Amino acid sequence: MDTVTTLPVMMPAAAEIFLTVVGMVLLMAGVFRGEKMLKPLAWATVAAFILAAGLVIMYGGTGAAFFGLFVTEAFAQFAKILILLGSGFAILLSLGYLKSEKAGRFEYPVLILFATVGMMLMVSANDLMALYMGLEMQSLALYVIAAIRRDTLRSTEAGLKYFVLGALSSGMLLYGCSLIYGFTGTTSFEVLAQVFAADSTPSTGLIVGLVFLITGLAFKVSAVPFHMWTPDVYEGAPTPVTALFAVAPKVAALALFVRVMSEPFGDLLASWQQILVFLSIASMVFGALAAMVQTNIKRLMAYSSIGHMGYALVGLAAGNEAGITGVMIYLATYIFMNIGAFACILAMRRDGRLVEELSDLTGLSKTHPMMALALMIFMFSMAGIPPLAGFFGKWYVFLAAVEAGLFGLAVIGVLASVVGAFYYLRIVKLMYFDDAENPLDSKVAGDLRLILYGSAAVTLLFFLVISPIYDSARAAAASLIGA
Amino acid sequence: MYTAIIFLPLLGALIAGFLGPWIKDLGAQLVTCGALLLSAVLAVVAFVEVAIGGQPRTIELASWITSGSFDASWSLRWDTLTAVMVLVVTVVSSMVHVYSIGYMSHDDSKPRFMAYLSLFTFAMLMLVSADNLVQMFFGWEGVGVASYLLIGFWYHKPSANAAAIKAFVVNRVGDFGFALGILGIYLLFDSVSLDVIFAAAPEKAGTVMSFLWMEADALTVLSILLFIGAMGKSAQLGLHTWLPDAMEGPTPVSALIHAATMVTAGVFLVARMSPMFEYAPTALAVVTVVGAATAFFAATVGTCQNDIKRVIAYSTCSQLGYMFFALGVSAYSAAIFHLMTHAFFKALLFLSAGSVIHALHDEQDMRNMGGIWRKIPFTYAMMWIGSLALAGIPFFAGYYSKDLIIEAAWASHSGVGHFAFWMGITAALLTAFYSWRLLFMTFHGKPRMDQHTLEHAHESPPSMTVPLAVLALGAVISGFVGYDVFVGTQMDAFWGASIKVLPENNTIEAAHHVALWVKILPIGVAAAGISLAYIAYILKPELPAMFVARFRPLYLFLLNKWYFDELYDWLFVKRAWQIGRWFWQGGDRAIIDGFGPDGISMVARWCAGQAGRLQTGYLYHYAFAMLIGVVALVSWYLAFGG
Amino acid sequence: MVVQALVFYGLAFVAVASGVMVVVSRNPVHSVLFLILAFFNAAGLFVLMGAEFLAMILIVVYVGAVAVLFLFVVMMLDINFVELRQGFLRYLPIGTLIGLVLLAELILVVGGWTVAPEVPQALGTPIPPPNEVSNIDALGRLIYTRYVLLFQISGLVLLIAMIGAIVLTLRSRVGVKKQSIETQNARDPADVIKVIKVTRGGGV
Repeated sequence: MDTVTTLPVMMPAAAEIFLTVVGMVLLMAGVFRGEKMLKPLAWATVAAFILAAGLVIMYGGTGAAFFGLFVTEAFAQFAKILILLGSGFAILLSLGYLKSEKAGRFEYPVLILFATVGMMLMVSANDLMALYMGLEMQSLALYVIAAIRRDTLRSTEAGLKYFVLGALSSGMLLYGCSLIYGFTGTTSFEVLAQVFAADSTPSTGLIVGLVFLITGLAFKVSAVPFHMWTPDVYEGAPTPVTALFAVAPKVAALALFVRVMSEPFGDLLASWQQILVFLSIASMVFGALAAMVQTNIKRLMAYSSIGHMGYALVGLAAGNEAGITGVMIYLATYIFMNIGAFACILAMRRDGRLVEELSDLTGLSKTHPMMALALMIFMFSMAGIPPLAGFFGKWYVFLAAVEAGLFGLAVIGVLASVVGAFYYLRIVKLMYFDDAENPLDSKVAGDLRLILYGSAAVTLLFFLVISPIYDSARAAAASLIGA
Repeated sequence: MYTAIIFLPLLGALIAGFLGPWIKDLGAQLVTCGALLLSAVLAVVAFVEVAIGGQPRTIELASWITSGSFDASWSLRWDTLTAVMVLVVTVVSSMVHVYSIGYMSHDDSKPRFMAYLSLFTFAMLMLVSADNLVQMFFGWEGVGVASYLLIGFWYHKPSANAAAIKAFVVNRVGDFGFALGILGIYLLFDSVSLDVIFAAAPEKAGTVMSFLWMEADALTVLSILLFIGAMGKSAQLGLHTWLPDAMEGPTPVSALIHAATMVTAGVFLVARMSPMFEYAPTALAVVTVVGAATAFFAATVGTCQNDIKRVIAYSTCSQLGYMFFALGVSAYSAAIFHLMTHAFFKALLFLSAGSVIHALHDEQDMRNMGGIWRKIPFTYAMMWIGSLALAGIPFFAGYYSKDLIIEAAWASHSGVGHFAFWMGITAALLTAFYSWRLLFMTFHGKPRMDQHTLEHAHESPPSMTVPLAVLALGAVISGFVGYDVFVGTQMDAFWGASIKVLPENNTIEAAHHVALWVKILPIGVAAAGISLAYIAYILKPELPAMFVARFRPLYLFLLNKWYFDELYDWLFVKRAWQIGRWFWQGGDRAIIDGFGPDGISMVARWCAGQAGRLQTGYLYHYAFAMLIGVVALVSWYLAFGG
Repeated sequence: MVVQALVFYGLAFVAVASGVMVVVSRNPVHSVLFLILAFFNAAGLFVLMGAEFLAMILIVVYVGAVAVLFLFVVMMLDINFVELRQGFLRYLPIGTLIGLVLLAELILVVGGWTVAPEVPQALGTPIPPPNEVSNIDALGRLIYTRYVLLFQISGLVLLIAMIGAIVLTLRSRVGVKKQSIETQNARDPADVIKVIKVTRGGGV
């Protein structure tokens, strides 16, 4: 056999390599200096994220590294920026929490950093094996983070559930990968694409493999019926961790989903479209229905994120360039709404202790007018009311679905969003029309307030920048399937 | 400068809204009033440059949505129509801002109020300066939201909340028409840019498109859809029910939004789209009939209302009817002219009414007023000026614009035109009657309020009287100053390309040459109406009671506003309620108290229950569910996907 | 060839049978032992394919480390497996149904096995003939060159696993006596040793 003797190309992966090195350095710093390093480490991690984002942007082009296992293009860059944003904000949200709950451990930012690297690797994976490794890397770090408050029952339960079900889903994913490998003899996305381009009537076994692969990915984006872990983990994990779970891994998994479906299996659209339509409808409807009966705001956000993933999958199910553009815009809006909403949840304290029941929000508009206004903006945006950010996400994915001829899907999506609006507006009603019996603490930490108002402003004024966002999302989509 | 006019109010709103707690009440008032006054001054300059100087222009701000052939940008279209509207909006709005300082002096959340007002102004300016229909729709929705917020400003009053929701919902019906119209226009013209639409309108005349189950003339359908949008916003017959209820908001809001500006958006829309409506004669006829019917209907109802603001509200509704039938007979410039004069005198009337209400400690029922003209002479005088202008007494503003509209209706020499003419004449009689009924009931006769209120009745502070004076000036002079340029000899040069009238529809020109009796009749009926009111409420105060006793059904019919609300309540609200119950019982009951015997309720509850039951918390259940999911997907694929 | 086929079927049968036994055994210790048996058979299958390195690794890692660890855990934690199996019978019918459906589907898949004609060419890294390159050599050439990214990520995954294990389990308990080398080294004999003259017959 011929042995590859040249050094692999590495520049396209500069951001990931940089982050990994920083992660190891920070880990050493933490180990040697102890718990008091938490705050500096957290800030250093955020700084590293910013630098990594810079590196991602600097290496702007399309390129492959590590003998084609790793690729980057506008699509990957768009997704990576969103991931870095989400992770960075999640760390900032954690600072106050870790301090007040005395749960600070220096490994926390380091684990988030490694999880982020895993996500970035997922987004750039160009091979079934690379896909699996990236996925495992981020999952493993997230399992640990979910259970990081090991002394509380709920946190450990969340971590364990996430771990066991995650392992099951990984197993299915691997099984799918091996079936695909068995039927095609390759794991490389490019070769797979060539195989299917030449012969677009796949064997049954291959499709069964694909179904298993989709199952594994659907678990990661918590699409119904692979969503069962989401509410329990969201509720049990510490709130800032939930905030992280709600944004960064979702972006990464969905981006990976998009890449897998459109790059190697793009020519098998007819085979997987129905499955995705089903997943999407089930997620939208189930998310909306189940959210109505929730009383815990974190569980509510879990169902809300299930629903949101359903909408995003509409764009993927459309399977065209417009659909992917829609997904990217949806993710961009989704990040800001969720970060803001979780900042609100973290600001809900009574007598210094965090509370998370919906009933705790009653009369918020009287006691915290600005916070109530911001939360109202997020809720309206999630409900998809124009001209807020959330509306554009929904609009573009539904548009793509219509373009692809999936009228039924678009109609069900719109109906589900109407039902979904009900529970978002219920929160607004609680805040604005009910009287507070037991007001929350009036003092809200400065950093939370900053994030809160910042994301509210972005959500509110998103329509002003829709044009550049749309352009870059479109470029991202084109880089994936237009080329 | 042109950009600044539009965005200064937004800036004011943002500062007052977000920095309210820091800059305090006074700061918020100063900022918003300052921004608005500056904007008004600039608007005058812009008016001179654009309208008088005849230099329309378009200012591109940024690209907004580009998707295929769909291209909507943020840009400001400054032509004469825009300049007139901007002038009216900024001037009236700035006066209302100043007035609000006095009127809202006892309120707790002034910054919020000022921010809403400024936000509204911005949205309205965005609407009138839009260069494409999407941007216009943005402004259109923006004023709707601001109006909703302002009607419900006193959110602790259930009636205010109900009125706000009603306004929003009724407007939604209109907006639906508007949105459909925009979509249809995009379908037909492949563009939403006004320039493109106007340029292509002549050649599209006669195109047939299928709408619902029938084939119809495309332009007619689209024009009627747009008109439905205009009906909602401008409270025309059928979609008018929200306007009187909207009087639950603070009075400055009623003056600004529900008299001078927002409700005229519909008139503006039709005038703006005149190059399209001109090629849709059927649509114009519909506009005429609806407008004339509204003018008549609202005037009849106005004669029997007792709430001072509701009387003026119905009067607004009626005057909007005039504007619409003017549009319908292609007298666009007359409609806009009336829009302008109406903005002045109706804002004046509302603010005067506000001054009365303020003086009498929030008393709005005219049956509890009377005999206070000595106490508040200035307001009394202002009310007279406003009423004279409204009734179209010569040399006041209303005379020039309203009479011209009636004459134009006659001059159109069509069936609908004559219908509109006679409706307009009747409405003019009723207008004069109810205006003076209001005056007499409020200011004359024996005081009917309690002693305490009477003693404390006082003239309003300068911040309220000065805007009144400014508006009164407008109500007196805007008519004869504007007559020549708006509808007279310099008309064509003034409007330029912003309004299009086909040569055969030139009713304005014809209106200048109608028979003498047509010109005199409106003044005659106005005088008759005033006399009637004088007889009924000063000379023989027992007369109205006799009338009511004699014609009780008619009185009740009018008092209850032709039973429109009841009809709608029965027809839509009840039905919607039923449907709503039907749909939502499950969700509601599942949340509130559990069981519901109805079928749908059971299903929804069952769903929610199943959702809850699925979420058992047991790991193996979850894992099992995942496995079932996989197997289901694989089976599905093997069964159907192969 | 006949021998080879016989050995294959023998190993495969025992592997599947012990897999079933892992699930159905009443005694958890037996389950683990059956698991080990299954591993051995899998290793045998590897040997049959000429992948002797993988076979050894499987034995060393899975049998030597993982399974034995399982055994310890099972024996040390006093888990009441009878109680855990309470739900087993309740879910047995539907579980069996799902399992059978899946099995049927997989058989269908295997029955319709058609390998795409491009597969032989598509194989990115064909297996080198064992008589030229040894197993370890071949693996090494791939892992450290073409798949170096995966190798590195695996390293990171292990690092994360290690951090996770430490984060979740390591506790610094108070009141536990530990050796502290620094303190030991820093002790000055003068501080801690006192020389006492003991008088004869007087005691201390």
